[in-house]
Amino acid sequence: MMLSRLRSLNLRYKLFLSSVGMVLLISGVIALVARGILLGTLHRELELRGAAIAQSIAERGGGFVLDKDHPGLVAQLFDAAQLGERKALVAYLFVTGGEGDLLAHTFIRPFPEGLLRANLLAPGQLTTSRQVQFEGHEAVDIAVPMQEGIYTLGTVHVGLRQSHISTLEDKLRLTFLGFISLVGVIFFLLALTLSGYVVRPLVRLTKAAEAISRGQLDQPLQLDQEHTWDARECPAYSDTDLPCWHLDQLDKAPDQTHPTCNPCKFYHARSGDEVVQLANAFANMVWSIKLYRNRLRESEERYRPLFDANPDAFLVLRVDTLRFLDANPRAQDLYGYSKSEMLAMTLADIEPEDSPAGVHRFLLDPGPTRQVLSSKVRHFRRGKEPIFVNVHACRANYRGREVVIFSAVDVTELVEKDAQLIQASKMKTLGEMSAGMAHELNQPLNAIKLGSDLLGLMHSQGQCVLPERFSRVLTQISTQVDRAAQIISHLREFGRKSDLTPDAVDINAPIKGVFTLIGQQLALQNIAVDLDLTEGLPKVMAHSNRLEQVFFNLVNNARDAIHLLRAKRSGDSYAEISIRSMLEDDGRVAVSVSDTGCGIEPQALQQIFEPFFTTKEAGEGMGLGLAISYGIIKDYNGTIAVGSEVGEGTTFKVTFPAAT
Amino acid sequence: MNPRTALTLCAALALVLGMSLTACNQQTPAPVPTALRQGVTPTEIRIGASLPLSGHAAYLGQETLRGATAYFDYVNASGGVHGRKITLVARDDGYDPPRCVANTQQLIIEDKVFALSCYVGTPTTAKILPMLEEAHIPLVGAFTGANALRDPFQRYVINVRPSYYQETAQAVKHLVADLGIERIGVFYQYDAYGFDGLRGTELALKEFGLAPVVRASYARGTNEVEDGVGKILESRCEAVVMIGTSSPCTRFVQLAVTRNPDLLYYAVSFVGAEEVARQLGPEEKAVVLVSQVMPPPDLPETNALLWGVRQYEELNRESSPGLPPTAVGLEGFINAKVLVEGLRRAGPDLDRELFIAGLESIRDYSLGLANTLTYGPGDHQGLERVYFTRLWKGRFILLTDWSRTRHPVADCP
Repeated sequence: MMLSRLRSLNLRYKLFLSSVGMVLLISGVIALVARGILLGTLHRELELRGAAIAQSIAERGGGFVLDKDHPGLVAQLFDAAQLGERKALVAYLFVTGGEGDLLAHTFIRPFPEGLLRANLLAPGQLTTSRQVQFEGHEAVDIAVPMQEGIYTLGTVHVGLRQSHISTLEDKLRLTFLGFISLVGVIFFLLALTLSGYVVRPLVRLTKAAEAISRGQLDQPLQLDQEHTWDARECPAYSDTDLPCWHLDQLDKAPDQTHPTCNPCKFYHARSGDEVVQLANAFANMVWSIKLYRNRLRESEERYRPLFDANPDAFLVLRVDTLRFLDANPRAQDLYGYSKSEMLAMTLADIEPEDSPAGVHRFLLDPGPTRQVLSSKVRHFRRGKEPIFVNVHACRANYRGREVVIFSAVDVTELVEKDAQLIQASKMKTLGEMSAGMAHELNQPLNAIKLGSDLLGLMHSQGQCVLPERFSRVLTQISTQVDRAAQIISHLREFGRKSDLTPDAVDINAPIKGVFTLIGQQLALQNIAVDLDLTEGLPKVMAHSNRLEQVFFNLVNNARDAIHLLRAKRSGDSYAEISIRSMLEDDGRVAVSVSDTGCGIEPQALQQIFEPFFTTKEAGEGMGLGLAISYGIIKDYNGTIAVGSEVGEGTTFKVTFPAAT
Repeated sequence: MNPRTALTLCAALALVLGMSLTACNQQTPAPVPTALRQGVTPTEIRIGASLPLSGHAAYLGQETLRGATAYFDYVNASGGVHGRKITLVARDDGYDPPRCVANTQQLIIEDKVFALSCYVGTPTTAKILPMLEEAHIPLVGAFTGANALRDPFQRYVINVRPSYYQETAQAVKHLVADLGIERIGVFYQYDAYGFDGLRGTELALKEFGLAPVVRASYARGTNEVEDGVGKILESRCEAVVMIGTSSPCTRFVQLAVTRNPDLLYYAVSFVGAEEVARQLGPEEKAVVLVSQVMPPPDLPETNALLWGVRQYEELNRESSPGLPPTAVGLEGFINAKVLVEGLRRAGPDLDRELFIAGLESIRDYSLGLANTLTYGPGDHQGLERVYFTRLWKGRFILLTDWSRTRHPVADCP
């Protein structure tokens, strides 16, 4: 309780109380010790005086005793007792004879008989002293022998007044106490001044620090009376581009172009004790903070317009809570939320957590550069309306927190245009497919025709068709109808405009689809197809019909290359298109499409993915096939590579990341 | 804790510390002597006196005692003071200070007297002054004009007669101013009394810018004045102030007058004018002046004018038939009278403090002398008047006209 109160005292009283307590303690100890010494000395001195009085009487009074001159002895005693200052000290004097009988005394009252035997002198003893009481008084009785030759005539007793001794002691004590008190008072005042001296700047510093913590940096700081700051006097304060030699740790003060800096009016190195040094360091620190904050404010003021007026949406996202800290007007516009709404939202509100790319992805795996560009990330506007954005995210520190700052460029329109383009290209592909499809459809139609003709012939000849044969023909017809329907269905599927979100797709499906449509045509053109598809591959995130478009393009190109080679060599040599699907070592799903066609010129290899590049005759191709395929593959984070040998053939290799 | 509390706490702490150092030995006040009423019984008041009843100053003691006894007897015969008879216990000290001290101690302890009175002699009385203070016992009227009894003021010393300083001052004034004498020597007894007179004379001469031209002394209790006489005569002084007792002074006059008949002798009252006159005899022609603190009772003029003197004569005749009234006796008588007046004023419930209060209440009280008696708190000096007498044909007569010092009365055959 007491201790906790003591602890809660402020420094000033701690210093003050401890020093005062120390002084009091030391004074007390000194007082006690010195008192003991002084009083002891005084006591001894007084007893010596008493003994001296008694001895002088013993020496001179012997004659009176021998002469039995009682008045003489009495007068001598009175004389001795009343000589000057002795009167106060000596309470009584008396002389006893050899037999202990009273010879004379200085009492003016009946002699207190008790005194006679109160302090007896042993034979041979030179002096003895004892505390005695008489008539309610206290005294120190000192006895010395009165001698004549070797014989003792009697004893002289001197009674020293205890009250007088006490008075002397009191006087001594009082003087000493006064001295100690004076010392104490001086120390008291000294401690008061000292604690005030130490603590007052600390209090001022504390107040200043509190003011700073409340952001009141611009208020004048009463750190010392000598200096008042006028921030305009600091060139580095008014012009933040100018370095401050102190804050920026330059080696020395700048040249004479800024005479105010030499010496600096704000940073001081003052000589003085620790308290002064502390105040000085504090003042310097405050100025540094002021300067630094000014710079920061200027910097923020400078970059804020860039943030606010940027045509791209910028968002600041806290890493720990995934909440937004800031969003520029463009971002508010893009996502359709006001800033305050934005600040109440989390990343999940605008980006699906399972998004394969984008900010979530970036947070999980920031990559080596701590910044990433994710294109065509699907985000949501207000009302869960999906949009596609290119996200450029980087990690940063913003107002002391770890954040991700990302820009979101709205590419929804672009994505839609892409889709339209792909669709258009698909339609064109469909046209290109039509010959193949005709072949494909011809086959079942022929089969149906054969079956129905057979049945018709049998009927016209009146032949009885065996029931099992009839049944087989019908089954055959039905199967062929199914096949045709399947082709048409697939065609419809291929032509359908896919939605914008990809699905997990077995990569073998679109490959098989391609050959559903043009397998027959290739066979008719005498091109062998070697399908080497690995089953059980991981699925990839893609649109099946777009992949089919890609593979169709590749197969189509292969076929064209074979035709080109045949045309050059003017012979129907053996040609083959081989397609393989496999799992790469790095976990990606790969598909290679090889042909034994004419190959591509090395210089053309660089350009084959560029739009409107074609090696075909004018009017045969638009040069968009590979470019669009490339775009589609990139959309699915895929790669496409090409290897070619003129006259030997070409191999395209496409890889996709496995869907997680 | 606010700052004020802290300060108060510290102050209290310091105070406590201080107290603890001082408080351990508080001085006990000296107990007041319980003997305030000592020597007082319903029927008796005992008064003590130590005075020379033997030896060279015996005359003074005896005369004083006689004078006092005369008055006490008278008072006792008239019923005492508030029904109490006064007993005077006198002890002989032979004008020896040690004996006076021993006597006083015995008077206080053994005789248990209420008050002291009628002490005679400066060295003797001066010795007991500290005892008075210690024993709180009053001394009323001592046959000495010593300054020690008057300065500094002492509560337990009540003076009746004027001081030697007053006597010598007035004498010197007359000698210098009236007689034009500037060469004045001093012959004194080498003790407290002599020193006191010497100092008084010196102080008085200093007033006129003078100093004694010669100082000579003799030892107390002896008549060895020859050296002094020689010294005084050598200095060719015109007057000599004698501070001594009767015998040495008489002898001094007798020795000196043969060698210088013109020398003027002056002695203070203590010398005992009647005794000097008796010893010098009627044939002595020397001019011997004595200042007296009591009017000489044997002169017709005082006897006629002052009822106090008459009363003394009458009572003296009753108590000591055949013995003449003397100035010394009158002083003893007056001392007793003052004492009795004090006792009366103290009331029936007597104690020492009331007694002193009673004395201090006396204002302009007529003792039947030429001047009245006044005391007060802080004023224990009673009479102021000094009478000058001149030896003329074997007796001292009042000297009123200083121009006729050498021939005070018209010569008649």
